[in-house]
Amino acid sequence: MSGYQQVAPGEAAPVLQQNEVAAKLHPEQPKSASESVLSPITSTYNRFMDWRKSLNLGSPGTAEAMGREAKTTLLSNFIFDGARADLTKGISLNPAFQVTHSFSLGSQQAPPNYSFGAVYADAKSFLQGAVDHTGTLTGRANQSFANLGTGKIQAQLSEVPGQSMIQLEHDYQGLDYSINGKAMNPSLVDGTGIYIGSYLQSITPNIALGLETLVQRPQPGISESLTSYLVRLSGSNRDWLATAQINPSGMLEATYHHKLSDKVDAAATLQVINRPQGKEASASLGAKYDFRMASFRGQLDSTGKVSALLEQRFTPAFAFLVAGEIDHLKNASKFGVGIMLESTTMTPEEMNAAMQSVPQPPI
Amino acid sequence: MLSDDNKERVTKAVEVAKVAAHWGWVPFVIYVGFVNANPKPSLIKLLSPLA
Repeated sequence: MSGYQQVAPGEAAPVLQQNEVAAKLHPEQPKSASESVLSPITSTYNRFMDWRKSLNLGSPGTAEAMGREAKTTLLSNFIFDGARADLTKGISLNPAFQVTHSFSLGSQQAPPNYSFGAVYADAKSFLQGAVDHTGTLTGRANQSFANLGTGKIQAQLSEVPGQSMIQLEHDYQGLDYSINGKAMNPSLVDGTGIYIGSYLQSITPNIALGLETLVQRPQPGISESLTSYLVRLSGSNRDWLATAQINPSGMLEATYHHKLSDKVDAAATLQVINRPQGKEASASLGAKYDFRMASFRGQLDSTGKVSALLEQRFTPAFAFLVAGEIDHLKNASKFGVGIMLESTTMTPEEMNAAMQSVPQPPI
Repeated sequence: MLSDDNKERVTKAVEVAKVAAHWGWVPFVIYVGFVNANPKPSLIKLLSPLA
């Protein structure tokens, strides 16, 4: 067995057994006295690990990815208003490399915008950068280190003071647990910033429990911390998934995702804030339909909004988007149209050759 | 703990790194993509939205 196995992202990292570690550290040494002293401990450890493997718990996913299924089904993250166009040019498939020009105009919330971006991804790294016409850069870089998890950096850098941020993150997925550490705007000088650590452990193949602690240091010497509890439940045949994050200060966030068939997904989210000043709650319910050349999302929420988004692909390289939202309580509405054009500099033969093995980048 | 002098140096270094990342990141991603891409594209095709 080679010492440095390739691990596909999402797959649990292989766990080194104690005797393998010992074998690596002392390859040619004969069995020493200290090893025979330690052997009851290593054999107990090995038995414990075998027992743990036999439970077949599976990886719980990361704490951050909890509820991602529901978020990608609901359209809140995809809706836009005004007009937009995305011109994507695929330059290479393996490794993936593409550049994007995006334009947006006439939105009620945001001023007109042009941005230019580039994405590069191979099996070990993922690099993305985009710069808009005001000179603001948003970028991310992920790098996976075989057995040591994935390191991530996310940044937004702007000329305007106070609008820049950077987030450093490390993800580790074990046999049946995952650990994540995050630092937002950490200062090397005085230690201010926001730090988040989370741990998620599978208890049975369908239940995972976890903790997330947030430490906030707005000024040197002041620090606040807040711990929340995470629960993730899933159906035995992976058709449904429910997640909840509860913290003692009175916040509850719950999501539910149900795969009704290959083509239909339904999702619901609930957010409750219970403070001495008053209670607030909001819920949304949505569905996503995938057709051969189109996808449709519809959503209803407790604030009186009804919204829909249609993405219609006329050819594989050209998609047309329509989005709409009506807020019945405020008597307001939003409407958006968009196009997505994809072109490639590759010939069809090159394309087919590259399609054979497209790597999965560490996202 | 850091001395005031060192604090200033660290702040300065962070500032320089920030400017370098701000202007260098997108060119860096394009450079990495350009070098590793298979097949190799031409630079004009890479940058113009229409070509």
